[in-house]
Amino acid sequence: MRRAVAILTSNPLSMLGLILIGIILFCAVFADFIAPFPEHRGAVVDFANFNQPPNWPHLMGTDLVGRDLFSRVIYAYRISLILGAVVLAIAVPIGVTVGLIAGYFGRYADYVLMRVTDVFLSIPPLVLAMSIMGVLEPTLINGMIAVTAMWWPWYARLVYNMTRAEKEEGYVLAAEVIGASPLHVMFREILPNCFPSIITKMTLDLGFIILIASSLSFLGLGVQPPTPDLGSMVADGAKYLPDSWWLTIFPSLAILVAVFGFNLIGDAMRELFGADQ
Amino acid sequence: MRTLLKLLSAASLVAALGAIPQIVQAGGVLRLDEVAVGELDPAKASDYADSILMFNVYDTLVIPQQGAPGHDPHLAASWEGEGTSFTFTLRDDVTFQSGNPLTADDVVFSLDRMQTIGQGLSYLFVSVEGAEAVDANTVRFTLSQPYAPFVSSLVRLPIVDKQLVMANLGEGEGEMGDWGQAFLSGNGAGTGAYRVVSHNPQEETVMEKNAGYFLPIAESAPDTVRLRYGLEAATVRTLIAQGEHDISSQWVPPEVLGALSGGGAQLLTEGGVTGFYMKLNTTKPPLDDVHCRLALAKAFDYEGGVKIIAVTDEVSQGTLSTGAIPAAMLGANPREKAQTRDLDAARQHLADCKYSPEDFVLEVTWIGEVPLEERFALLMQANFAEIGITSEIRKIPWALFAEQVSNAETTPNVSQVYVTAVTGDTDTLLYGMYHSSAAGTWQSPEHLNDAEVDRLLDAGRTGATPEARQEAYSALNDRLIAISPTIYAHDSQSVFAASNRVRVPALSDPAMAFGLDGFGFTFRLMEMTE
Amino acid sequence: MTPTILVFARRVGTSCIVLLGVSMLIFAVARVIPGDPARIALGPSATHEAVDKLRAELRLDEPITVQYGHFLSDLAQGDLGISLYTNRPVVVDIAQFLPATLELIFVAGAMMILIGLPLGIASARYRGSWVDNSIRLVALLGVSAPSFVWAVILMLLFAYFLPLFPIAGRISDTYAIEQVTGFLTIDTLIAGNLGAFGNAAWHIILPAFALALSGIGQTARLTRANMVETYDKPFIEMARSYGVPDRRIAGRYAFKPSLIPSLTIIGLDFAAMLGNAFLVEAVFAWPGLSRYGVSVILRKDLDAIVGTVLIISATFLIMNLIVDVLVTFINPRIRYSRGRT
Repeated sequence: MRRAVAILTSNPLSMLGLILIGIILFCAVFADFIAPFPEHRGAVVDFANFNQPPNWPHLMGTDLVGRDLFSRVIYAYRISLILGAVVLAIAVPIGVTVGLIAGYFGRYADYVLMRVTDVFLSIPPLVLAMSIMGVLEPTLINGMIAVTAMWWPWYARLVYNMTRAEKEEGYVLAAEVIGASPLHVMFREILPNCFPSIITKMTLDLGFIILIASSLSFLGLGVQPPTPDLGSMVADGAKYLPDSWWLTIFPSLAILVAVFGFNLIGDAMRELFGADQ
Repeated sequence: MRTLLKLLSAASLVAALGAIPQIVQAGGVLRLDEVAVGELDPAKASDYADSILMFNVYDTLVIPQQGAPGHDPHLAASWEGEGTSFTFTLRDDVTFQSGNPLTADDVVFSLDRMQTIGQGLSYLFVSVEGAEAVDANTVRFTLSQPYAPFVSSLVRLPIVDKQLVMANLGEGEGEMGDWGQAFLSGNGAGTGAYRVVSHNPQEETVMEKNAGYFLPIAESAPDTVRLRYGLEAATVRTLIAQGEHDISSQWVPPEVLGALSGGGAQLLTEGGVTGFYMKLNTTKPPLDDVHCRLALAKAFDYEGGVKIIAVTDEVSQGTLSTGAIPAAMLGANPREKAQTRDLDAARQHLADCKYSPEDFVLEVTWIGEVPLEERFALLMQANFAEIGITSEIRKIPWALFAEQVSNAETTPNVSQVYVTAVTGDTDTLLYGMYHSSAAGTWQSPEHLNDAEVDRLLDAGRTGATPEARQEAYSALNDRLIAISPTIYAHDSQSVFAASNRVRVPALSDPAMAFGLDGFGFTFRLMEMTE
Repeated sequence: MTPTILVFARRVGTSCIVLLGVSMLIFAVARVIPGDPARIALGPSATHEAVDKLRAELRLDEPITVQYGHFLSDLAQGDLGISLYTNRPVVVDIAQFLPATLELIFVAGAMMILIGLPLGIASARYRGSWVDNSIRLVALLGVSAPSFVWAVILMLLFAYFLPLFPIAGRISDTYAIEQVTGFLTIDTLIAGNLGAFGNAAWHIILPAFALALSGIGQTARLTRANMVETYDKPFIEMARSYGVPDRRIAGRYAFKPSLIPSLTIIGLDFAAMLGNAFLVEAVFAWPGLSRYGVSVILRKDLDAIVGTVLIISATFLIMNLIVDVLVTFINPRIRYSRGRT
């Protein structure tokens, strides 16, 4: 653990990642105290101050009903992170279980489960989530469902491949010989060895989930206003280019910074745990 | 594999249809845009893009008078009749773009087709029992009951080339097959001043001047028209500034129109027959109590609403409303009787309402396709909060909205809708909104059931003289303000930004305007200046 | 039958089964739509008779399994139903809109390889230097933003502030090109109109680059990672000690073994662009299948949703298959070990 911290902090790039994500997490958690206009996260109008370029006290300008863009970006981070965490909390256990079962038992379990996984993987991720969001009502919960549906197969794939390799290792055979149950072997013997890869992937994925969720809402299929959301802010603001550039550029950069930060940390972790992706 | 072959053959079909062999001259090209998708089949035309196509590719028996109420004969040479029977004599010098001469049979066919397909604006013709060809140049319409706006509704009956359509029937039940729906969705079959060169419902429709048109067309009218679909506001803004585009759609946000105007573009306007309405569901608590409705109507900031849609100091996308009927239409209140905000009155009404504001949360919706409505939703939320009413905002896609309002239970408390009198007549504006028999469509999320309103609507519909109708609609307007099923937010005006390459008298000179939405885009009356 | 063909045949078979699964999945998803699709399609002012007629035509009153059966038999005849959005057969729509999307993706794919690979190679060759560091940073930035962010930023920079490129569309109005393949860059060449070709190419650069950016980053990162790994292998040391020039080592000894893993990922990225094209087409008003897809999803146009997703997935599978075959041909070791999976 100490080694991990040492490696993460010694490399300037991963250090940058830690700082970026640290700031974002801090903002998201303490949004109520940091946002200059916390009430602007919701339905507020201030037509006296609408569509203003960046100024004081509106660091990123104001939107078309006069809400402070900076405050909204901070709250949007909070929602993105919650969405990412929930999606991973559901998708990872499902994917891991499917991957373990298919990889460990092989044969029919392997064929059926992995073909189902293939079905999900062969619809381009965004398209699958879009189709689901398109037919459901666009709410935060449904957004989570749609993104989860496209995310679990990747973990199934990852764990499946690792399980198939680990299954032949000596320690697994040893456990089997002394009569450990398949459940014990799968979850207590094999799974811990997959942890580093899973955690690395989760770090990277937090960034990518923000990316995908913002793409969905960019297309009008995500979280709905007045809930602040980076993707829909970009989409709405794009109508007013180039005159009201701040409406688009700041939320765009906000997405870029968050995903970039998670990628920097993920990269460092990948080096730390060995490149077994 | 067969799918693939089919795809390939479909591709070559599209290629054949979409072939544009000649290179067009840039000078005489008019480029404008509208929202996707452009519906070319005139029987299905309903929205603005469809109407532009319809008014140029097809002609109607009558057209609205320029700068005045009333109608002029167009394909018809003259007409007579009243009550339930109307006889039209057709011009004898009109040919379709195919070269076929126009006959009474074509008129009969067009009505039958519209009524059978039953989409678009076919509801305008429900009280028309049928049409018959008396002789080659005379056609008689029979109505099941007197319908005062009948002649004005004929601006929505485009005349289709029967011979051409019959030669291109697609598969379907009965001898008429698909009534030519497949053919007419990609091809024109009208007498119009412009013929369709190519049509891609998602990208653009290209039209060119019809040399054989029965009326003279000025040299300066555009030779080619490119109607583009689904351009982003930002794209249009830049294309016009760069001289690559001529007329924007009306859906461009006011800030962008303002920026264009500041950059030297001219602003065109069309309006008078459209209202912007906040529809209140009169069947669900708390808005089934008239006092709660009046409280909202008095709390709404009408002037603030009009500020949202101001384009420049002079031009706005709307003016203060004077009631249910836009100020330029039959039965409207005079301009000085504008709706105003009165918070004291609002509080008084709220106190008289049998529901207490602590006990409910209003559901305020806006249509996802119209981003401007989000601002009005937020405005309402702020306004209502001032008298102690809490509300939550929900965005609904249009398709879902139209579905939800069919049931009073699922209809939101407050919904925002633009309603246009598609024929220019007050009847087509109000009947669909407020008659109890028409409740539960996108126009009538009020689900209003009021005997007095019904009576006045029927009186207006069957009134024998303009004066009698005027009286009925005036009384109706008062009644609708008194029971407030709707917050009459503003009289809407469409604003378009245009380059200076084009002159459009019908959209810039009130004396040349037509009282019919979309008719200002009659290309043959436009002039290219370079 | 040689093992290669056998492997290939098995892959095709699996792909078909997967595609069938996709059709079931998307068909089921499309059928849980709240509300009445017939009413939604015909618009609020349609008569009851018209709605009932359309419901019957769409077989909406029958059980979903029966509907699916009809769908499959129609599909076998190349019939994907009627789009309620454009009022045309879905097959005609797809045939009209797919080429524009494929053209965009192919150009983006070419950019991905032509820019991403050299960047990766340079990065690995100058490992640890400022060249390496800056390429890594740029590559990571490339993968750190969704395509629509790049599209908006590129558009703002190179179409608005510096008007170097057009902001929308596939070709200027002044050119009228007969559609043969649907790929404008090819059709203009067939027509022998070099001016038009230049114009079409000029229109495609910005959207394709926006679409390619994350792929470029991904390719550069992977190529670098693989080459770095190869550089550490003994045979490179050996080549060095024999005095083989650096350029030759990079281009030949280190690059070749690194190519295979890169190619697999490039294939995946290439296919993923089918999804990302949705975002770029929306920004650049590119009249492709993706834009159509968004419109039909928003309008709950059942047949068109199912048709579009099916075609996109089929394209996705075909691309993966092509990559697999390529990889198999390049590397005999994979050719044989693949037999097991």
